[in-house]
Amino acid sequence: MQREEKQLDSALEAIIMRVNDLKTAIAAMIFKLEHEYETLNWPNFLDNFALFQGILSKILGHDKAPNLRNLTVLPLRLSPEKDDELLRLTEGRIPTFAHDLVPDYLRTKVEPQAEQKMIQLEAKAANLNYETSHYTKVINHVWDIANKAREEWESEAGSRATQAQTSSTADTHALVAAVGMVNSVPSGMMVGRPGNQQQTPGQGSLGNPPMGQMNKAPSAIKTNIKAASQIHPYR
Amino acid sequence: MSAPISTAMDNLTAAIRSNIIPNQEYLLQGSVLDSAVEVLLHRLRGLCDNVDTGPETFNDHEMCFSIRLLEISYCLQIHMIVMLYVCFRGAEQPLLLRVRRALDYQDMPWQLRYIGQPELGDKSRPTIVRSSLDIATSNTVVDFLTELGCRLDFEYIARGYMFRKGRMKVTVSKIFKMGQQGKIPESMEAISQSYLVELSVLAPSGQDAIAEDMRIFAEQLKPLVQLEKIDYKRFVH
Repeated sequence: MQREEKQLDSALEAIIMRVNDLKTAIAAMIFKLEHEYETLNWPNFLDNFALFQGILSKILGHDKAPNLRNLTVLPLRLSPEKDDELLRLTEGRIPTFAHDLVPDYLRTKVEPQAEQKMIQLEAKAANLNYETSHYTKVINHVWDIANKAREEWESEAGSRATQAQTSSTADTHALVAAVGMVNSVPSGMMVGRPGNQQQTPGQGSLGNPPMGQMNKAPSAIKTNIKAASQIHPYR
Repeated sequence: MSAPISTAMDNLTAAIRSNIIPNQEYLLQGSVLDSAVEVLLHRLRGLCDNVDTGPETFNDHEMCFSIRLLEISYCLQIHMIVMLYVCFRGAEQPLLLRVRRALDYQDMPWQLRYIGQPELGDKSRPTIVRSSLDIATSNTVVDFLTELGCRLDFEYIARGYMFRKGRMKVTVSKIFKMGQQGKIPESMEAISQSYLVELSVLAPSGQDAIAEDMRIFAEQLKPLVQLEKIDYKRFVH
């Protein structure tokens, strides 16, 4: 009997020590949260929880501990008077060992206040689940719209690159030659001929056609071309 | 009052020596199809300085004359010609002079312009550089040039829009053929289905930094217009 009691005592001592460890760890975390919230990052913060988990698993896993479930805690004396010793032991948290408080402290579940908060949070979390699914739906919708728009842009940009040219090298050369040419314009570069006028912008954009072909377009005034093909247009 | 009386000639040579005359034209050329000219004008309005007033329009008639240098050597005392002579150091090729007048403002002075041979330079030079001198004249300048022995090589009408961006000038112009005997034809015949686009700056020689600015500006107009160094002498074979 005595041996069992000794074992229980040492187990309780170990548990109290671990609980104290846990308490300081939580205090450290709260301190960090309050003072270093600007520099705190998630990995460091989550380390705290790993620490708690380690301590908690040690509390219950004391090898020589008797099964605590088999033991009963009995409040032997209740008193509405203020108990200084108790106050000191609980670091100022519990002033009296009175009948209205004892059931709460001696029960095996969490404190009623904490329990209530827990229930609230769980309800909120369940609600949040619904909201997230709602948000996911909206985001997917926007994502679809953006994707569609991107496809349209890309096809448009692709078609623009192949089709709509806004300038033609042949025309550039023709114009530059027309305003800057000193002596003679080679016959291939004859500009302003009616045959040339039939060239649509689309055709012009196909690049730089061979100069000699520019006069070959069918024209109503063919004789004119022949006659003028050797002379400068302004002379 | 014993200071020597300086002649116009002295002033001119001094100015040329100290490189203060903006006689170099930095030039890039390109064209835009008629169908896309509105887009280009819109973009230029956004890029250039005269946003609020809109682009200036012009409608000019340009005549290009040529003369052999030997023929004008007897009238070297005419200061403008001297100036041209200083700028134009190659003696063999004919001297080219351009006369330009505004058809829409008949009472404005006419413009006589000398343009030198374009220097293309290597790839490190972003623009063509050519000598350029402008002078305002009266409307008798054509008679004067003809008397000197100049020959009319060709003429055309340029009609379009002018934009400014700092020292840079951008012109977007349609080039039309001239009628017979220098008459303005009733229905104008365009040279091509494109507008000529020119980006130019007049600066004293040696200010090559401006060419870089022009290259950057030309980049902003791509791919609408490809402004390039175009060597039209390549066309003459």
